[in-house]
Order: sequence, then structure tokens, then C-alpha cells
Amino acid sequence: MGRLSGLGILGAIPFKTLSAEVLGCLGAVVLGAQVLGAQTGSITGTITTTAKGLATIRVTIDQKVCGNELPDQAIVVDGQGHLANAVVILAGLKRQAAAETTITNDKCAFAPRVQIVRPNANVKATSKDPVLHTTHAQTDSGRTLFNVALPIPGLTITKPIGTAGNVRLVCNTHPWMRGWMVVTDDAAAISAADGRFALDNIPPGTYELRIWHESLKSAPQKITVTAGKPTDLTVQMK
Amino acid sequence: MDPTNGRQARKGGLVPFLSATRSGIVEVLTPLLLATALALGAQAAPPTTIPEMWGAWCARCHADDGSGQVKEPTITVVPMDLRDCRWTTAEPDADWQRAIAKGGPGVGRSSEMPGFEDSLTPSQIAGFVTHMRGFCTDTRWPSGNSNFPRPIITEKAFPENEFVLLPAVSHETEPSSAPATDVSLVATYERRLGRRAMYEVSIPFYNWDFQSSRDSEIGDVAVAFKYAAFSSATTPGIVSFGLETTLPTGQLYKEFGKGTVVIEPFVAAGTMLGSWYVQASSKVELPVDTLVDRAYLYNLYLGRDSSAAPNSWTLGVELNGENRKLWITPQIRKGLTGTGALAASLGVSIPVKYRGEKVVSWVGYLVWEFLEPFRSKR
Repeated sequence: MGRLSGLGILGAIPFKTLSAEVLGCLGAVVLGAQVLGAQTGSITGTITTTAKGLATIRVTIDQKVCGNELPDQAIVVDGQGHLANAVVILAGLKRQAAAETTITNDKCAFAPRVQIVRPNANVKATSKDPVLHTTHAQTDSGRTLFNVALPIPGLTITKPIGTAGNVRLVCNTHPWMRGWMVVTDDAAAISAADGRFALDNIPPGTYELRIWHESLKSAPQKITVTAGKPTDLTVQMK
Repeated sequence: MDPTNGRQARKGGLVPFLSATRSGIVEVLTPLLLATALALGAQAAPPTTIPEMWGAWCARCHADDGSGQVKEPTITVVPMDLRDCRWTTAEPDADWQRAIAKGGPGVGRSSEMPGFEDSLTPSQIAGFVTHMRGFCTDTRWPSGNSNFPRPIITEKAFPENEFVLLPAVSHETEPSSAPATDVSLVATYERRLGRRAMYEVSIPFYNWDFQSSRDSEIGDVAVAFKYAAFSSATTPGIVSFGLETTLPTGQLYKEFGKGTVVIEPFVAAGTMLGSWYVQASSKVELPVDTLVDRAYLYNLYLGRDSSAAPNSWTLGVELNGENRKLWITPQIRKGLTGTGALAASLGVSIPVKYRGEKVVSWVGYLVWEFLEPFRSKR
């Protein structure tokens, strides 16, 4: 990652002003990335489950903003059993995620519901809803990291997330609201609505693959990555 | 003997000071509210006054009337009933401001109460405290703004619900005899009566060094009544009058007791000078047996908190006089729990007159405010 950091500087320069020398350097960097890609492998896969989606939540407060019913996103699964919002973690392969992330209270739900956050990152909590929300972050053990009130839409409050493992977000005025932050500096990806995930630029080797989901479990597994060849797998969670 | 002579103090108080500090919110909030109003169009306008904000936000858990009884509870704890004047008046504004700014954990309460310090201005938070205090409609209760932290020896003016243990260890070095170490422990139970009054019962235990042996006895049991005659709701200040009666339950011949009923009228007062607590008390001991000497006792305390948290350190110093004798008692106090309801203090009484009679007395207390919601810096 550090080798490509020069692109950030180039990105600030209008393309037409770049000299041949600069473009030459740019080409060298891109070539370097290709070489790097050839030396690394990738993991792709699909997360599935036999579990069924949950019944909708009947809303009894703030219906004008929240609606009368909301989907229960504790298990998001499509008709083929593809599971979304599972976090695939490649233990031991360090990756530097963004130092800042945003959690939005939108129509009485946390968006996104599941995030990967690096340790000690800043969390920007905001709201689009004209009702009082609280963004209450708790560790696995129930210890409160912070609980901020968001009484008006548009207000953004920034708090540090610390180094805790999995952080649960709740709203103390809308008890069905749940959000999760997986705090890790390991390489990680979140499964999409079709259950698919991808982890790129992985040095060859054998790793432990862990998969976290807020409601379902699966056992960690060893996986071997080969240079230049994608490793594809399907994992079922129960 | 022991400079406190079993008269170690009962309590102490404080001053309004908002600990919440933020920038930008004041400037941002009003445009946000206006923008929100425009964006919402036909939807209900956002609340702009404190009562409207209470109804839209706080009432979700605390109810419109402050009772904490709502039809659709969204939290697991039951909020305190803010209509109950015992809760609403007993603590200073700063405590409530901190609770709103920092949320429940800021004052040792539930984490389900969020912090508003990033979404409200200090003046709005102060407005909520005023609004919240309004749920108690009986204005005869003394203001919690005059509830100051307890000194070790000076009598506290504010009526309290507390259980206090006051130990003292005195090392006596009279020129005419060998050094002696005396130990005392006074157990005091205090209970409020109605809005402004309080009674207390104190039982002293002594373990004294008689050179050839040590002896342990119960001393004179005391019963006291105190009434807060004056308390300002706006400027911290309180004056209380009381009457203590000491019963001759301790043995006279070993000086564990005075051997007579002693009537002890007293006055206690407290106020703030800036962020400093100033408390004073004075008492006259009038033995029923006229052969026993009368005594005049006077105390002055000056102290301040090191932080806004209820479990803050409080540094203080007292001047304690009995007739023509005078001691100075530097001391430190620490809240031991998040609410500050359990606290301890330690000090040392050093004679500044009659220096040769006594070298030093270690004094202190362990107090449990069993009905207090929280306490913080004023």
C-alpha cells in the first residue's frame, strides 16, 4: 500500500498538465502494481445459510418517520440462501482501514448495519431523521464506549471507537435498531446482498479465515492462497 | 485528648459550574434547526423552546410530566420520578447539567441516558435543568445548590440522608506523662425529616491508652435535630440551626463521658466564593450539671473540587476551635463510587495553640449517602 501512496499527490494535478516524465513515472507505478498483483493471490467466495429471513418489525413509535413496519436485518438472506452482512476476516494479514467512518441514523435504522473499522478510528454519528436518536456503542461485554444524542437531523458527532473487538450499536429511543462495527486491523470484507465477498492482494501462504455474523456462526478454517490464482470458496453459516 | 472530642463533622456543599465544554454547536445549532424546518416542509417543525424540546426528546423516557412513566418504554431502566422533590431538589444544578451533558455514566447512572453535550448548548442544558426542577412544585424544599461536600469536623448545614463513620487516632504527648495513642470511632445515622429538617443519632466508641492498659468503651450517645432555616435557590447559601443533646452513657471516671446531660445548640452555614466551598459551624455545650465546664466550639472550612466528576478529589482545610484551643485540619476527600454517594475523607488535626498538649490527630470519615442520586463539582 505504501508504494502506491504517491498516486495521492498525482491525483491532485490536472491530467493535461502532467509532463511526459510524470506520466512515465505513473506508468512505472501502475506496472509495479501489476507486478505486485502477480505476486499475490486473492480469496473470493460466497456466504450461505439455511437460516431464513426474519419477520418484519412492527413499529409502535415515530411511525411518521420510521414507517409502520421495518425489515429485521439480523439475518439478510436472499431466496438462494446467500447471506449478507457477514464479515470475512483473514487473521494475521494486517490492513490499514480508514481512520474515520460514518454511521447514519436513517429511517430508524443504522446505515450501514455492519462495518469494518480499524482500531482507534473515529466514528462520525449522524442522523437524517427528525426524531431523537441515540447512537449507543457497546462492547461485547456490554461496556458503554459512548452514547450520544442526535436530536436533530444533520448534526454529526465524532467519537473514538477504541480497540475493542466487536462493537454493538443500539438506539435507546428505537430499541429495534442495531448496528455492528467489527474493529480489526486484519484484512476483512463484508458479504454483499448476493453473499459474495472478495479479498485481494494477499501474499501467498496459509491463513486462518474467520467469519463473523451478528446472528449466525461458522467455524474458523485454514485457507491457502497461491500467487496469481484466486481461491474461491463457499462457507455456510448456521 | 482527641481534638475532635467526638464532635467530628456531619457534612458539606457546593457551586454552580458547568463542566461541559464544546465549541461550534452554538453557532451550528440554529442554522441546522432552520434548515431542518425548511427541509421537512409539511412535517412538524423541530422544537425550538425548552418545553418543546423536552416534549420531543426527553419525554420519550422521562414522560411529559417528569414521572418516567411512559406508554412505550424504550429503555430497560425506570427513570427517577422527577416530580419527587426529594430527588429534584437534593442536588445542585451542576450535577444535573453534568448528567445531561455527559449522560448517565457521567454521574454514575445508567448508560441508557445519552450525552447531549455535542448537540445542545450550555445554556440549553441549563434550561433543561430549570425545566426539570419545575416538576417539583413545592418551593419550600432547600435548594441542592447549597448541598456542599462534608468537611471532617465542621457541621454541614444541608440536611442529608447519610450513614457516617468517623475514625480518629490521636497521639498524645503531655510533658508530665508517657506518650499515649487514643482511638475513637463515631457512627452517625442522619435522616431527613420533611422538607428542611433532619435528625441524627451518634454513638462514639473509644479505645484509649491508660499507659498500664487499654480500655474500650462506648461514650456519650448524642441525638441531634437540625433545621435549614434559610437556603437560596439562586446563589448557593444555607443557614441551619440545630440542637444536640448528649446523654451520659459513657463512664465518667475514665473520661469516656461527661457524666451529665449536655445541651448543645448549634448553627451551621455554607456558601461559595468562586469555586471554593466555605462552611462554618459553631456550638455551645451547656452541661445540665453546672459543675461541668461549658465549652464553645467553632469551625471554619475552605475547600474545592479538583474536577467535575462526582468521584472527584476535594481538597480542604479547617480551623477547629474549642474555647481557647485551636487546631488546623488539612484534608482530602474522594468519592469512591461513580455517583459519589460513597466517599471517604482523611485529614490531620494539628494544634496551633497549646502545641505541647497534643502532637497530631489523624481524622477522617467514610460516608454513604444512601438516598443521594449523585454529586459533582459546583
